[in-house]
Amino acid sequence: MNKVTKTIIRYEWASFIRNKFQLLLLVIIFLFAMYAIYYGTSVINTQLKTITEVQKIEADEFHQYQVSFDEELNSVDAKRKKDIASNPSYAWFRHGYHTVLPPHKYAALAIGQRDLHPYYHRLTGMSLYYQLFENEISNPVKLYVGNFDLSFVIIYLVPLLIIAFTFGLYSIEEESGVLALLRIQSISIRKIMLVRLMFYFMLITGSALLISLIGLLVSGNLFADENLLAALGWLAGVILYSAFWFSLMFLIISFLKNSAFNAICAAGCWLLFLLVIPAVLNVWMVAKFPIDTTHLAELTRRTGLENENDEKEQVEVLSEFLEYNPQYKASDSLFHNNKYAKVYAAFTTLKDNHSKKDVDAYNRQIEKRNQWVKQFLWINPAVNMQDTFALILKTDLNTFLSYQSALSKFHKNINTFYFDRLFWDKPITQDDYSKRPVFKIENSNERWNQVLYSFLEIIFISSLFGILGFMKMKKTTH
Amino acid sequence: MKTSILIAKKEIKIALREKLVLALSCIILVLLGISLYTGVVAYKQQQETITNAQVEKREEWLGQGDKHPHIAAHFGTFIFKPKTVLSLFDFGLDTYTGTSVYLEAHYQHQFMFRPAQDHSSMIRFGELSSALVLQILMPLLIIFLAYASFTKEKERGTLRLLSSQGITLTSVAWGKIIAYFIMLLAILVPFALSVLLISYWLETPDTVTDLGIRIVLLGATYMVYIFIFIVLSVLVSLKSSVSRNALLTLLTCWILFTIIIPKTIANFGESLYPLPSMKIYKEAILKDKENGLERKTPKAERMARLEKELLAKHKVDSVQQLPFNFEGVMMQAGEEYGDKVYDVHWGRLLNIFHKQNKLGSYSSLVNPYMALRNISMGLSATDLSTSIDFQKKVENYRRSFIKKMNNDMAQNSKYGEFYEYSVGLDMWKSVEDFSYKTPSIYTTLKKYTIELIALLCWVIILISLLNYSTRKTKLTNE
Repeated sequence: MNKVTKTIIRYEWASFIRNKFQLLLLVIIFLFAMYAIYYGTSVINTQLKTITEVQKIEADEFHQYQVSFDEELNSVDAKRKKDIASNPSYAWFRHGYHTVLPPHKYAALAIGQRDLHPYYHRLTGMSLYYQLFENEISNPVKLYVGNFDLSFVIIYLVPLLIIAFTFGLYSIEEESGVLALLRIQSISIRKIMLVRLMFYFMLITGSALLISLIGLLVSGNLFADENLLAALGWLAGVILYSAFWFSLMFLIISFLKNSAFNAICAAGCWLLFLLVIPAVLNVWMVAKFPIDTTHLAELTRRTGLENENDEKEQVEVLSEFLEYNPQYKASDSLFHNNKYAKVYAAFTTLKDNHSKKDVDAYNRQIEKRNQWVKQFLWINPAVNMQDTFALILKTDLNTFLSYQSALSKFHKNINTFYFDRLFWDKPITQDDYSKRPVFKIENSNERWNQVLYSFLEIIFISSLFGILGFMKMKKTTH
Repeated sequence: MKTSILIAKKEIKIALREKLVLALSCIILVLLGISLYTGVVAYKQQQETITNAQVEKREEWLGQGDKHPHIAAHFGTFIFKPKTVLSLFDFGLDTYTGTSVYLEAHYQHQFMFRPAQDHSSMIRFGELSSALVLQILMPLLIIFLAYASFTKEKERGTLRLLSSQGITLTSVAWGKIIAYFIMLLAILVPFALSVLLISYWLETPDTVTDLGIRIVLLGATYMVYIFIFIVLSVLVSLKSSVSRNALLTLLTCWILFTIIIPKTIANFGESLYPLPSMKIYKEAILKDKENGLERKTPKAERMARLEKELLAKHKVDSVQQLPFNFEGVMMQAGEEYGDKVYDVHWGRLLNIFHKQNKLGSYSSLVNPYMALRNISMGLSATDLSTSIDFQKKVENYRRSFIKKMNNDMAQNSKYGEFYEYSVGLDMWKSVEDFSYKTPSIYTTLKKYTIELIALLCWVIILISLLNYSTRKTKLTNE
């Protein structure tokens, strides 16, 4: 750093701390950020509390079943309990397993779609789709305006700060007559502008990083294995996103227009990136890929046999079921013991088989939408960054889709566990309880490639604006 | 007045020469066009899907064959939320409220499938509706049009020239306001007329009551909103020393009004009045149905009491001797008690929603955007209160058809028989198809009294401030 650069930075600092308005803005953003961290944390804590409650409900339920084996069967109630615990013809649709999608430690910083999709389910052996689609309670007005979390502060408010601090870097000098003095210096105007931009870049990015660090420290241990990469990804994202806005401002300044023009231009870009482009894409997408959920509604209907006493219907259902599940064919007791339970189990399984294609078609349509939108993401670093934050903190749509597919697998395991006992007429023993199916979500690290790719896209756009600004300024100042 | 008109003419001429203003007006026109087009496409698509689905479900209900009425009550039916024709103008909360519900005996199912769930996190940036363009982009056009209205005259010294001719500042200000208002009406009026034409031209089921009045009121409210922003911009310009400051002040207001305040208030409301989780909510309803409200009357006790009462009333000593099927009466009594429990819990939930959203209503006293946003949703019948009204009517429909099934069971079937008794098409036909009509315009407006008062206050305060300032400002001091 040479002497001139140092001098510029010193003077910039002096003028910055004298400017009450700018300091005030910085303080306001800081306060907003603190509120955002508080709000995000409170949302995630509520979810964690719900998850704990839900897990307790499951633990209590299975505890009851397990102790019923040791209790004396001297009352109707005790007998009933033991039946539900040990007789697969009750157990398969009574035993409720709770699956949860626990939030990432840092989910509070970017709530993403976590407020919109259910993050816990109670599953029994009954039809999967019957149990899949219920939503969490939420106020639609709140969903509509969205979350005031830290990602909102970074994505929406930090750019405003950048605009407010830099739109007049050139024009105000000109308007106040200082420019003429600068021109007679040996250093080029472009260099002065770059140094000053760099100063504000350090200042604002530094503040954004500080805010982020506070958020990260409040939400979880920074150095835990699963957190470190996410934290680094977040911080890198903050730097890149801030760099993007600075390069855009540099481009705008390089036109050497007056302050009002710069302010209008910058506000226009802000509006374009944060509102107009995504809003247009959203409606365009809906018109291009309409999604019809009315077919899915049918899946939530509770159905059963037309007539439970109709022998013919029972045989039909069981035979069809056995075609898909030949492993039970050898059980000679199929048509004798516990027939109602078996037929009903077969019926709901078949129903799932039939419904699967509707659900798959629905998921494919969502996938198509996503693919289509992805090709536009690179144009818009704001949406790209928001998506990436959600991706890093596992609050994005894909996390929920993979949670749902993990749910389907788990539901199959539940079915296998109970049906193996139901169709072979074996009771559930106390030992079996340790072999119960357990819900697992596989941790995939695929998202990091995507994160990297998005970062590269943002770097590309930022460099493009930076270079354009650099060239433009060279031309105009010479 | 004459001078004001003269000034207005001049202002229009000058504004039409401004490239930026023309460009922005063109952008707004194009965006209005796109939004109207996609609005109509989406409306038609969804309306068609929903109508077809509703017809299909009706046919399913009618064609369900002969069965016991209680099985039919469980077979149930589905209701889909119809799109109101004005949703092509203002999507409101439609993306965030569930679209379909399953109606059956004993359970109040929740509305499922919120359209936002089929989107990636980009949906949270908003969707381009005409309402969005008018509510958020139009004010920006006004700001660009009017921020320099006085500061430019001051900077060039023309204001003193005007005053030397004996023209008062008040008439200058009103001249400018009239000019801007006329220019914006040139965009708004043709647009409002096309909305009017389109909504009558589209062949729609008349879900929305008082359609014509709603559209006229929408137009009027938007005019008031635009007027408020014009007067505010002119006032700020009058009070500012240089254009840059006027612009910055106005842009700050705009961002506070449209982005920051609405989000903060909604988030704040959620923190103040927390919602229960679905799991806990449903669990509480189940428990109260089982143990009685406030645990006072367990189910078994309620049923025993009913039995005793009926036996005494008909002077018989066993339920078999009653002149009707006791099971049907018991079923209906259980249903009614369940409804009572549900109403208590649902009422609590709605009360929390109401409290949360009330904060938003009050914030319209300091934020005209909130006032307009809420009124616009209300008039377009895409707001929360219409959605709740719809849910209530659907629930009443469920209650009436379940009651019909239970009464038939009580009157026509015998105690203890189930599969032996069945009814058919005549019975299914006697359940009328569900059709929805929004509340009247009067009911809707009453919900938005605060917002209407807020708009009125804004108009009065701004006009008085403007007149006061124009009289007090002394040009010689400039």
